[in-house]
Amino acid sequence: MNAIFLTLSAVTVLGAVLAVSLRNLVHCLLALVLFFLGIAGHFFLMRADFLGAVQILIYIGAVAVLILFAIMLTRNIAGTEGARRALGGAWWLGVGVSAALAGLMIAMTRRSELASKMPYGATEEGVVKDIGKLLVTDWVVPLEIMAVLLTAALIGAVVVALEETKKR
Amino acid sequence: MPDGVALTLSVLLPIGIVLGVFLTIFALLTWAERKALGRIQNRLGPNRVGPFGLFQPIADALKLLTKEDIVPQAADKVVHFLAPVVTVAPAFLILAVVPVAKGFVPVDLNIGVLFALAVSTASVLALFMAGWASHNKFSLLGAMRAVAQVVSYEVPMVLAAVVVLMAAGTLSSVGIVEAQRGFGGWFICKPWGLVGFVIFQLCAMAEVARTPFDLPEAESEIVAGYHTEYSGFKFALFQMGEYVAALTMGGITVTMFLGGYLGPGSDLPKIGWLVSACWFFAKLGIIIIINIWARGTWPRVRVDQLLGFAWKMLLPLSLVNIVAMALWHFAPNKIAGWLVSAALLVAAIFGLVKINAGKAFEKRSYRFIS
Repeated sequence: MNAIFLTLSAVTVLGAVLAVSLRNLVHCLLALVLFFLGIAGHFFLMRADFLGAVQILIYIGAVAVLILFAIMLTRNIAGTEGARRALGGAWWLGVGVSAALAGLMIAMTRRSELASKMPYGATEEGVVKDIGKLLVTDWVVPLEIMAVLLTAALIGAVVVALEETKKR
Repeated sequence: MPDGVALTLSVLLPIGIVLGVFLTIFALLTWAERKALGRIQNRLGPNRVGPFGLFQPIADALKLLTKEDIVPQAADKVVHFLAPVVTVAPAFLILAVVPVAKGFVPVDLNIGVLFALAVSTASVLALFMAGWASHNKFSLLGAMRAVAQVVSYEVPMVLAAVVVLMAAGTLSSVGIVEAQRGFGGWFICKPWGLVGFVIFQLCAMAEVARTPFDLPEAESEIVAGYHTEYSGFKFALFQMGEYVAALTMGGITVTMFLGGYLGPGSDLPKIGWLVSACWFFAKLGIIIIINIWARGTWPRVRVDQLLGFAWKMLLPLSLVNIVAMALWHFAPNKIAGWLVSAALLVAAIFGLVKINAGKAFEKRSYRFIS
């Protein structure tokens, strides 16, 4: 537990808490980006550079922008309408669920073999090559299934967009 | 010297050198751009402050520093303040992985290029923050244009970089440069490299919103786009972020396609670092000249042309480019590889131009004009 880890964790938790507690939707999004950055920082701290960069590329470059488009299509962005309550009606339910999830995760990380391997020792070729080789050897079937799924989703999106222009 | 001090110095010194050099180039670049644009438009450009107007950047900086900082009353104060800061940060972060000379790179990450691409996409949030926080219609329009543009051009840009990674077999920026050794070894000298370079250069220009892709700040349409409501030093920070981003993206382009710091004499024993640095900055200069030239001579594209160009032209072409790279890699000998990949790419370019041409010159119909 060094100072960098604690600072990063504090920033990450702060981002997460702000993301669910702020009223303005755009502020929530920016807090969420702070949270994503914190997670990327944790990856970098654990020497998982590749995951850290991918976290920034995917979550900040793509997911956050997608959420942004969604927010721009909604009303009440400033959060001035509706009831102003710090906690929702069923807050105890949320606390219960998160406590159960946290307990489950702690139990799993205690049990699994991953914990013993935690400072991941990459082979001499580096983490990126390790990941690449594993993806096209041991995990090639899941990879291909994922590729087909994503291609289908892409084509589906194009088809949906095409039909709309024909109707006009 | 105690170890702690030496370690701190070895970390801080390269950062200091790189920041100093690139900030000087940034100041000179603003002058060079105005001068070159002036010549293109048959004007003289800045010529009052110092010899040939060379001190113009200093005068501009002083003016912007002393200007009043105006924040609109309806603006979202915190986000409005944060936006310029967030604009500048990613531009400088990319510098960390650009190898400017032989054996001189601030941080030799083993995922260097991926890091640069990831960080450069984060700049879109800053543009959106600026546009949204200003509470101004033109700002918001500019911001939405910026978001759509950067998201669209990010895809072909990453795909154009893929061929380089395939050829070099590494993500490290130094590794990519070292993979381009030898006569004709620069990736731009190969058919897939040339196409990749053009795609990457166009996408880089779109990513940092330079003319002809400067729709987020199109003066003739939406005042100044996302930075309409900024003045004084915050405006200067936006300008700086934009220019430094253009410079650093140019540096990444040079690293990936133009052989980085390699060139005749870059391996000499004593002065190799100086020669290689000269090579790097000479190549960067060529990229900058291309940028200024394009800005001075190309008209700004329309929004539909901009997005159509990314999705219908650059994206399929970059996918074909990856196939061409694979054919090159598995070809029995060099000549066959050249012929096959070049033929595929030429056919793809002609095909895509043909497919897209019909749409571009359609007769436009207007609803309220018969």
